[in-house]
Amino acid sequence: MRIRPYEHLEDFRQEVRAFIRENLPEAEARRISRATYNSFRDIGASLWWTSRLHEKGWSVPFWPVEYGGADWEPMQHFVLHEEMAMADAPTSNVQGTHLAGPMVYLYGSDFLKELILPGIREGKAAWSQGFSEPGAGSDLASLRTAARREGDRYIVKGQKIWTSGAYQADWGFFLVRTSQHEKKQQGISFLLIPMDTPGITVRQIPQINNDAHLCEVFLDDVEVPAAYMVGEEGQGWTYAKALLNLERTDSSFIFLNKREIVRLKRLIALEQPDGPVTADDHALRMRLAVVEAQVNALEWSVLRMLANEKRDYPTSAIASALKVRGSDLQQAITEIQIDVIGSKALRRYDRDTVCAGQFDLDAFWHDDVPGRTYGAIYSRSATVYGGSRQIQGNIIAKTAFGL
Amino acid sequence: MELNLSDEQTMLRDSVQRFVAEQYGLDGLRRVEAEATGWASDNWRQLAELGWLALPFAEEAGGLGGSLEDLAVLMIEFGSGHVLEPYVSTAVMCGQLLADAGGQGDLVGQVIAGEKVLAFAHTETARPADPLAVTATVATAEGDGYVLSGAKRVVVDAAGADHLVVSALVGETAGLFLVDTASAGLSMTTYGLIDGSAAADIVFDRLKLPADRLIATGELARTLTRDAIERGTLAWLAQAVGSLERCVSLTSAYVAERQQYGRPIGKFQALQHILANMFVESQEARSALYHALAHWHATPEERSRALSSAKIVICSAGRYISRNGIQLHGGYGMTEEFLIGHHFRRQIVIEKLFGDLDHHLAAFAAGAV
Repeated sequence: MRIRPYEHLEDFRQEVRAFIRENLPEAEARRISRATYNSFRDIGASLWWTSRLHEKGWSVPFWPVEYGGADWEPMQHFVLHEEMAMADAPTSNVQGTHLAGPMVYLYGSDFLKELILPGIREGKAAWSQGFSEPGAGSDLASLRTAARREGDRYIVKGQKIWTSGAYQADWGFFLVRTSQHEKKQQGISFLLIPMDTPGITVRQIPQINNDAHLCEVFLDDVEVPAAYMVGEEGQGWTYAKALLNLERTDSSFIFLNKREIVRLKRLIALEQPDGPVTADDHALRMRLAVVEAQVNALEWSVLRMLANEKRDYPTSAIASALKVRGSDLQQAITEIQIDVIGSKALRRYDRDTVCAGQFDLDAFWHDDVPGRTYGAIYSRSATVYGGSRQIQGNIIAKTAFGL
Repeated sequence: MELNLSDEQTMLRDSVQRFVAEQYGLDGLRRVEAEATGWASDNWRQLAELGWLALPFAEEAGGLGGSLEDLAVLMIEFGSGHVLEPYVSTAVMCGQLLADAGGQGDLVGQVIAGEKVLAFAHTETARPADPLAVTATVATAEGDGYVLSGAKRVVVDAAGADHLVVSALVGETAGLFLVDTASAGLSMTTYGLIDGSAAADIVFDRLKLPADRLIATGELARTLTRDAIERGTLAWLAQAVGSLERCVSLTSAYVAERQQYGRPIGKFQALQHILANMFVESQEARSALYHALAHWHATPEERSRALSSAKIVICSAGRYISRNGIQLHGGYGMTEEFLIGHHFRRQIVIEKLFGDLDHHLAAFAAGAV
């Protein structure tokens, strides 16, 4: 054991900072910063930033080199993402870069690799993920959307829900049932579908955070070339599980949590002359101290995973622990943020206006006000999506303790 | 960076685990608890023979020159095994303080050989606003030496100590003195602590000290004091991590075995989710320790902040885990016949020493914005 995290990466960090300085206009960073911390409506910004990164060879550095990856050590990925988050750079379209892309290079045919990977790598195609269904949420394997083989095509019929960004996606990757078995995890396949295929209807669902990136996707006898099947028919469940094991630290949202701690401190400093909630507020400072200490620890939980520390417990349990603490912290930090801005948190903002930067600025309604409340409201989803907090508890009990 | 144990660290861990298996467990713990000193002399000899007392000292001082990570490995296993011997007081706090100050080479050699036990006689109040502060103990220059008067409270590991490192005011400034516990003018009231270790209240009544018993004054004394307290805090936090990780494994084993309603109680989701939360807390606790270790060689301010940050996370985790460990053990958690209750009390002791959780919360908060 020898604990020295960053000592050899200072040059690389400076290179990342220089890249961001040269490529990310300050106005764009401010626009993203003042919106909420999720940027699903910013798909244009996501793809634009991916294309900038691509020119540097950094758009998908974690992919294998032959597909455009950068052959980095784990800590370089950490540094790149940390610096981009701190600089309020757009987030990537993770459904493409982190899910569809790896799925295709791991299990897809050469045809699919050539068709799909360049668009993701170069920031040209937006992706969405069609997993959940009205009757298959936590119990995903109960999904019923069916794909029937007819010659060189599949005919897909069914409905998906919570399909983030489907309304503006070029492609979707869907879990579909291709055969019936006693064990419901069998007979599930991975199918890539262009979202402009006839028979697809997308409905945006209005959300409590004044957004509508979550969608219902109706598939009514959608014809899909059989060549768009990823890997073998019936292996979808196995592939999906392998995919979730690829990126085991993302669910900590460590960079978002770190950035929001910085923002919280900025808010406290900004609000200082304004009223009773100030930097001298003891109760407030205690709450900040707890979440900041927890973020410090969470960062080391991520570093431990990246450093391949040998553990007494299986990786799945440790990844679940990251998800639990990472999602709890998002909620705790954003909640303190709206407490700091007091009644200013109550004002409703039109999100498109905020994203476009069209709102009045003065010392009272300052730059950090508009996105906070919807950020805090949106953070309630962090303990719901990607395996709810309770599902994570079940996973830990089962995999760590065999219960 | 390497987070896995080196071959040497693996050997160290394995040898502590053997020591714990032979000397501790419930029976060994009861034997040590029965000692008025709060530790067993044969155990202490083993600590010396196994080289652990030499571990943190530089090779020039006769030590093994172990790294802070080596010390953490040792301390995590001590915590896991509920080892009560006064290692932190003797070697980590006082021994290294003397080695850092210089001029006490013989005594440092005796500490490494296991011949002397030391305690840090510093705290004067139950809940000091500033853990570094000294007000109730005063040393006055008189003749060729000093006269020491005042009182210290809840001095851990003092009951069986040969010497004390005593903090005192020298005029307006800080001072550190080396005091033989058999000195005339020193009276000690010893008592056991809830975890089986022992402490003492100590009164100095015009205790005469030759000049060579002054270890340091002024800024150096303050630095040595702070370093000793921070080293001790780090070592105890590593013990807390070992202890709370043990609580998780003790509790998971218990709920898998204990049958009610015709099945192991660990099959009930309400209990599973408590255990899952304990698991999350334990992961974060060890991560917090690594955070503190990573900042040890940063600036003094950064080091202190990282230590406070770690204490907040580790002691909060220790509370959650040990208390829910009792809950999941049911009535058996309330007995002395299960280890979980012993670790629970150990967690309380560690949390209160040299700056409690509230102190570190306040200190961390003060430097935040």
